[in-house]
Amino acid sequence: MKQEEIIKNYDPVIMKRLLGFTKPYKFHVIIAVTALFFATAAELMMPVIMQKTIDENILVTYSRVKNTETSREILGKIDRNKIVIELPEYVYFTDKSLKIPSEYYITKRTDNTELIKLIQDNKSKIELSGEYIIIGLEDLNNLSIRERRIIRESDINAVKSRGLIYLGLLIGGLIFTFLQVYLMAYTGQKVMEDIRLKLYNHTVRQSLNFLGKTPIGSLVTKITNDVETINDFFTSVATSVLKDFSLVAGVLITLFYLDTRLALITVLSIPPVFIATYFFRIVARNAYRSVRQAVSSVNTFLSEHISGMDIVQMFGREEANRKEFNKKNKTLLKANLSEMYVFATFKPLMNLFTAVSISVIIYFGAGNLLKHALSLGILIAFIDLIQKFYRPIMDFAEKFTILQSAMAGGERIFSLMDDVDRIEDKGTETLQTPVKGKIEFRDVLFAYKENEPVLNNLSFTVEPGEKVAIVGYTGAGKTTIANLITRLWDVNSGTILLDGIDIKKLELKNLRETVIPVQQDIFLFSGTIEESIKTGLNLTQEKIKEAALLAQSDHFIAKMDKGYQTILNERGSNLSTGQRQLLTFARVIAQNPQVIILDEATGNVDTETEKLIQKAIEELMKDRTSLVIAHRLSTIRNADKILVLAKGHLEEVGTHEELLDIKGIYYNLYKLQYESQGNI
Amino acid sequence: MLKEFKTLIPMVKKYKYYYLMGLLSLILVDAGELYIPRLMKRVIDYISTKGFSLRFVGETVIIIMTIALGVAIARFGWRFFIVGAARRIERDLRSKLFSHLLTLSSSFFGRTKTGDLMARATNDMRAVRMATGIAVVAFIDATFLTVAILFIIFSEYPKLAAISVIPLPVITILVLSAGKFIRRYFKAVQEGFSRLTENVQETLSGIRVIKSFAREDYFQKKFFKTNEEYKNSNMRLVRLWGFFFPLINFISGISIMLLFTFGGIAVIEQSITPGDFVALISYLTMLTWPLMGMGFTVNILQRGSASLSRINEILNQEAEIKSTEFPKENNITGDITIKNMDFSYSGSDKGAGEDKTLESIDLIIPKGTTLGILGRTGSGKSTFIRLLPRLIDPPSGTVFIGNTDIREFKLSELRSSIGFVPQDTFLFSSTIKENIKFGKPDAEDSKIMEMADLSTISKDLNDFPGGWETEVGERGITLSGGQKQRIAISRAMIMDPSILILDDAFSSVDTATEEKILKGFLKVRKGKTNILVSHRVSTLFHTDNIIVIDKGRIIQKGTHKELYKTEGFYREIAILQEAEA
Repeated sequence: MKQEEIIKNYDPVIMKRLLGFTKPYKFHVIIAVTALFFATAAELMMPVIMQKTIDENILVTYSRVKNTETSREILGKIDRNKIVIELPEYVYFTDKSLKIPSEYYITKRTDNTELIKLIQDNKSKIELSGEYIIIGLEDLNNLSIRERRIIRESDINAVKSRGLIYLGLLIGGLIFTFLQVYLMAYTGQKVMEDIRLKLYNHTVRQSLNFLGKTPIGSLVTKITNDVETINDFFTSVATSVLKDFSLVAGVLITLFYLDTRLALITVLSIPPVFIATYFFRIVARNAYRSVRQAVSSVNTFLSEHISGMDIVQMFGREEANRKEFNKKNKTLLKANLSEMYVFATFKPLMNLFTAVSISVIIYFGAGNLLKHALSLGILIAFIDLIQKFYRPIMDFAEKFTILQSAMAGGERIFSLMDDVDRIEDKGTETLQTPVKGKIEFRDVLFAYKENEPVLNNLSFTVEPGEKVAIVGYTGAGKTTIANLITRLWDVNSGTILLDGIDIKKLELKNLRETVIPVQQDIFLFSGTIEESIKTGLNLTQEKIKEAALLAQSDHFIAKMDKGYQTILNERGSNLSTGQRQLLTFARVIAQNPQVIILDEATGNVDTETEKLIQKAIEELMKDRTSLVIAHRLSTIRNADKILVLAKGHLEEVGTHEELLDIKGIYYNLYKLQYESQGNI
Repeated sequence: MLKEFKTLIPMVKKYKYYYLMGLLSLILVDAGELYIPRLMKRVIDYISTKGFSLRFVGETVIIIMTIALGVAIARFGWRFFIVGAARRIERDLRSKLFSHLLTLSSSFFGRTKTGDLMARATNDMRAVRMATGIAVVAFIDATFLTVAILFIIFSEYPKLAAISVIPLPVITILVLSAGKFIRRYFKAVQEGFSRLTENVQETLSGIRVIKSFAREDYFQKKFFKTNEEYKNSNMRLVRLWGFFFPLINFISGISIMLLFTFGGIAVIEQSITPGDFVALISYLTMLTWPLMGMGFTVNILQRGSASLSRINEILNQEAEIKSTEFPKENNITGDITIKNMDFSYSGSDKGAGEDKTLESIDLIIPKGTTLGILGRTGSGKSTFIRLLPRLIDPPSGTVFIGNTDIREFKLSELRSSIGFVPQDTFLFSSTIKENIKFGKPDAEDSKIMEMADLSTISKDLNDFPGGWETEVGERGITLSGGQKQRIAISRAMIMDPSILILDDAFSSVDTATEEKILKGFLKVRKGKTNILVSHRVSTLFHTDNIIVIDKGRIIQKGTHKELYKTEGFYREIAILQEAEA
């Protein structure tokens, strides 16, 4: 069985075309990306807020130096993020890089009576300087919890308000995430809708030449399943790739903002992660491919053997089929397990990388802390950020598979879109009404395949209102004539004229509404019987009933539970073959074409239905020019003219009696095909 | 709900060591995961005091890394064991299902759509797999982690824990309540997709009609609507599903926020250490997943049980037609006797005469003769012939071969003695050759060739690109109706059965070819019993005896000549067909 490529490497051309479909939704995309940016920023600000609170409010301690010219100069150069409080005697600061031991806590004095009382009670421990109070850490730790709470009231308030900012970031992040998710999903869905519509419109306008040689199943798959792979791409990859990249980048920026040295150490852990991801991708792709193959093999087998269970049982093949199925089932299990092993290795490995990364940061961070080059808040923020950093990378590998199947799907979709094979519709003329229905073939040459002409310089004329039968051996080109008059195919050379106008110069719609073929294979669309007769026309109930009456269908339609509103099953299976045939006649009568081309069915229906069909055919041909590819002798006998085709030529023309007298091809054909039944 | 899982008990038992090992791995993972924050707390408390030694930090960090390595291995372990077991159970269940399907009778397949059975074998199977795999993991993991984390944080920091944990149960409730809607919307999406596929499939199947009627625009409008509806159902799902995880993140974020505020104040008051603070944050972050997992477990189990009940529905179907316990070993000759047989599909209410499909059938088909059957569509003739190989079960004591009731034969024996060419030709998607030797895989090439000559399909071989080895495609899609029918004739003939039934098997073959096939057929089948169902009098002409069935009764019996001379349905049809010719 031919296996279609299910995954394909990244292809910038396909990607560009896919993204091109988002153009009508530019506005949505811009807002979504902006929202994404804000949401990511909010997410990254949370650890920063936490770090600031820890370092500036929770674990804040101060060092002090004498307030001199030099100390002011040195302190003027330190990081502006660090707090510096300048008092007449000492300068207090939080920066630890000067390696001066932090032994004090300083805060503003307030009017809080409890605080005033506390200061009075602890005069020996608490220093006063301007609007500040200063206390040694040692002394602070020896106070009671309640007393500490009074002294550090401003910090506690700061923690509370920063908690509210954190909440604000959460809410903001949520709103922006909602906005982003919704808009991206909307864009993705709209793009899919557009692609499907475009594919559908393209496909139904392709020529029969194209549609005849492409299996329907593969076209359906392209319009539905393959577009779905792109859907996955838009909803789970495109958005999250944007998000992941901005998150990874954001984390890196934040890391460098917080601490350059630690950030550099973190970056060093990236290459092994990428190498692991690269190998994983290859292995995962192969595993995915074999799973897909095994799944499709099991499902095909299953669906086929369920449909054909009768045959399996009639031929006593149960045991053999059971064995075959178990074999396929085992292959599927193997493929599934191999895929599972790949993921079971990759995910824990990434978790391990995260843990190692964090451990390394703690170790080096502790070293720096010891050197007073780092605050605890920053170390805590790093631990949080590194986890944020690895999560998208962990998902990345899985997303890559989706990207690759989208590439394969995209390739198939675009190859269908690019394959243009249509009957040209450049005619501008319309037929004069009322249409007379004169058909003329002039030296028509036609071949489905090169060098195998089906019609060879065929010329004939059908006068308005005439009933003409075409007979000939199978393969003589009878059906082809119908295909050419309606321009389902175009002639290679020569011309076909309708009422004296070359049909290529007519508008295709005008031509096809005038000449309607009734095909051998009966095809009814699902829906109600009424809809089936209308086939898109706007007809009154009376017109529909009239058409059904003429087509001898009214009696059986009326007998059905819901009459004209009865819903036809898949392929009209709740009707008998004969009834379905009659409905196709009703459908044509309802369209009221001036010319009909009837390809008579050879199939077996019971003899009474056959009579009805005969009658319907008579009604069908009344007052119309008709060309009949005839199998029934009765049709042939009643024809005004019989064309006998052989090898694409017109060999004999005449009425039934005239042709029998010639004792040529028609005579032989008649004997062979129809006499056996007369002999009974 | 739990009742449904009974089917799985033997399978779960079969893989109990997988589950035990998986359970062990899972608990190791959780224990390691829980221990790491404690180590981190230790390091952080240690380094937030003054003048610590880097060596101690280094040692702890190495311990953390070692535990992380152990956790990674155990993580591989639970996937290997539990997911592995679930996959194996899926395989076993699928094999069981197919084996069971093989025993069910055609009436079951008549009332059950292939698509429906396929859905059970794929989608439902997946739901069961999730219930036996991921749900087990989520359940153990969630329970263990939730209990352990809650125990740790409540025992050490009861007040802080109580405050910060408040929002978290909302996650479980959210998952539980959203599950129902998500499933409903998801189903709507799947249905929308099926409609879309059906629409395209139908359009392309009927493209000739559409083009001939110049109705492309009309069908485009129809497609546009289906397409739009599909998009809308997708968007409905997105509005719920897409907002789901951000919302859960938000709720767990609020719990972190509460901890951050009140924990921060506690650190300021020095009622907890900075290390406690960091450890609490880790624990709380870890709690998000198990709380989600609880909700998911319930959802997955519900789905799994619903799916399993759909699978059980099939597994509980008794095979209606099976061999008797002690089958008779008599030879199956070609003498068929039918004695006063009534048959109705409803079975039980034999009194109600109206819905009888067949009534008072009395018939003897001697070995070596060919019987012809004529009847309108729906007269009961297809039912009649399907009774012989027991595709439908006749009442006992009505149908005999030799002197034995066919219900007394071993079913496989009976069926292999009766060849059948059904009305709708069904071919399997393999090569032409494989299809012909379907019932006789060890047939020699010369035999296959002989049968292919007999059905005249051998003449068409030159037209096929691969000759014998041409793939016929799914259901023989690449072949014409006549070609398919002729392959089916060869397929039945190669079995050389004592009785051969052709149910309107020439409908897509032209009369001249039919004549040719019939002549060869009757020569080869000499001395054996044949039954030909046909609308064509020209076909019935070749038979020894003919019955005419109408409304479930045999209304005429006789040879062609006799019936042609007698007033009646047969003569009417014959004359009509003559006039037609």
